Amino acid sequence: MSRFERKILFAIGLSVFLTLGGSIFLAQGALREVYSVGVNERFGAELVHGVEARRGQLMALRSSTEQAADAVQWAVEAELARTRGAKRIQPLIEDLLERYEFVRQIRVIDESGRAVATATRSAVAGDPAMRETDRERVASAGGKKLRIFVHVVVPEVYFERLQDAGEAADVYSRLQRQSASVSDVYIWVFGVLVFFVIIVAFLIGAILSRRVTRRVAVLAEASRQVGAGDLTVSLPTSATDEITELTQAFNDMVRDLRDSRTRIEYLQRISAWQDFARRLAHEIKNPLTPIQLAAQEMDETYDGDDDAYRQKLEHARAIIEEEVATLRRLVGEFSAFAKLPRADLTPADLSDVVHAIEGSVPAMLEDVGGGSPAPVEVRVRAATQPIQVRMDPMMLKRGLDNLVRNAVQSARDARPEGGGTVLVRSYASGRSGFIEVRDNGPGIEEDNWDRVFDPYYTTKSEGTGLGLAIVKKVVLEHSGEVRLDRAPEGGARFTIQLPLWESP
Amino acid sequence: MRIVLTALLLLTAAVAFAQSHLPARQLGVQWDRGAPRVSFSAKDLADERVRRELSSGLRKRIVIKVSAHYKGSNWGLAERTFGCDITRDLWDDGYLVRIGARNERLKTLDQVLDRCLAVNGLFVGEPKNYETNRGKEIYFFVLAEFNPISKKQCRELIRPTSGDDPIGPITVNIVRRRICQAERRLEFRSEFLKVPE
Repeated sequence: MSRFERKILFAIGLSVFLTLGGSIFLAQGALREVYSVGVNERFGAELVHGVEARRGQLMALRSSTEQAADAVQWAVEAELARTRGAKRIQPLIEDLLERYEFVRQIRVIDESGRAVATATRSAVAGDPAMRETDRERVASAGGKKLRIFVHVVVPEVYFERLQDAGEAADVYSRLQRQSASVSDVYIWVFGVLVFFVIIVAFLIGAILSRRVTRRVAVLAEASRQVGAGDLTVSLPTSATDEITELTQAFNDMVRDLRDSRTRIEYLQRISAWQDFARRLAHEIKNPLTPIQLAAQEMDETYDGDDDAYRQKLEHARAIIEEEVATLRRLVGEFSAFAKLPRADLTPADLSDVVHAIEGSVPAMLEDVGGGSPAPVEVRVRAATQPIQVRMDPMMLKRGLDNLVRNAVQSARDARPEGGGTVLVRSYASGRSGFIEVRDNGPGIEEDNWDRVFDPYYTTKSEGTGLGLAIVKKVVLEHSGEVRLDRAPEGGARFTIQLPLWESP
Repeated sequence: MRIVLTALLLLTAAVAFAQSHLPARQLGVQWDRGAPRVSFSAKDLADERVRRELSSGLRKRIVIKVSAHYKGSNWGLAERTFGCDITRDLWDDGYLVRIGARNERLKTLDQVLDRCLAVNGLFVGEPKNYETNRGKEIYFFVLAEFNPISKKQCRELIRPTSGDDPIGPITVNIVRRRICQAERRLEFRSEFLKVPE
């Protein structure tokens, strides 16, 4: 795991755990508060009071039934004492039965077990379930004993309500006892769930950050390669995010570095060749005049009569003078190449150079044609809008002159009887200005496209191989590029590309 | 493999430790046609508070669970549970005790405790639970609980609120477990004994 990745994960972890801690702290307080509102002592106490009230109600009912049984006992005893017999007990207990609604039956039995009197309240259909029981009493008066059974009933629902209230109070008291731990349970469950959510978020964060950091690591590795001098590095840019923009910028930077290095290397090579050309020109140029003078002197000072020898001398002098002239021309070209100045760049319209070439076309055709105009049509098309670039017009015209001259020669050589054409045009596209020179000559073999700009490389019998080298030097000093490819007409197409100048 | 063995070893050690720390009591065990009949008293479950609660007139529950285990293991061979629903009758003096589907009326609390907490000759499992373990050492574990709320009743009493809240059901389950646990519980085990050959 890289340091960057660790930092990202630390940032994710810190933020989520702070959130978790804060939310648990707040939730804890809120839950306890909510719980204490819902489950508090007063509610619990009221529930317990409710249970006691229901129990008290039942006990009161029980007491009432006992009192009813006592009342029956006392009434029967009083009747026995008054009448000394049990004859009038029946109407008495019927009257008592009417008085106590929860008494279902009253039975009076003598000592022999015979029923003396019985009063029964008939059950009503649809009555709720009843709890039934007998309250037994013994009435005694005047030596007589009578057993009294008071059958009382109470709705079962009274007991059920007591149990229900008891259950509710029981659960509530449990809730009360567990209130602290229950809210802790909520917090724990909440915490655990949030923790799992955090873990998932963390994993997703790790995966996403790993994708980013892996790409950053690739960038770092590529930077190390570039630092080690490998400028062929190029990274894929498939996504559409900031890292991709960074990668694209890195690729552009490497490409610029590569171009700059190529340009610098080429200019260094040209500089070396210029130095070589200067020394060569110097070494060759010096003996040329003595050679030529010696040949002339040998020819002019011969006063013998040998005609054959004289002819030989004249022939030799002619050859020497011709070769010396050729050497002088070469020396001149070498010297010119060696003295090629550095471009002095100022903003100007690129089409001005094209117009300047247009003016020198007739002389160029004469020159190439060796006295008569070469049968080549040169068409010049300058852009109608100004193309502002920083350039040295003299130098650029010189380079363009070389290109047009080569194109005219190729077109002429391919079609000496006429029909050769050369097109020179300027245009702008994107952030660059262009000058294109193309012909319908034989073109250049694709295998040689990389070498044609090397100094002293030529395919012509009389060429020095300096023309295109000069063109490339000039263009590179303009921070531009020159490219060769095949023209639509079938010949060669040279394209000079210069960056457009934008006024600050 | 080594991890599994280590885990098993630790588990066994933990179980043995827990068993050794469980209070042991003398339980009467008689083997009747290949099945054990255990006798013991858990009347000490009924402390002062339990007695008071049992006399309140509200229905209370006593549950006794007896299970047989191998020595050094929590794996149950057999289990037997019985419970008493006890209600002091406020209408007539005495106690209504319901054991299974049978209702009994007892006059005093001590009779109730004798009936519900003094276990005499209770079958724990069937002969088939023991016939493959003859000669092996086992013990009986007793759990006596006062007034636990049954799972069914607990589910009815404490329900999660309706809705799609994912935490609710989980929390309610945990809360149920806490709230519905017994008000008092008593745990002990028998001495180790061998299943007769």
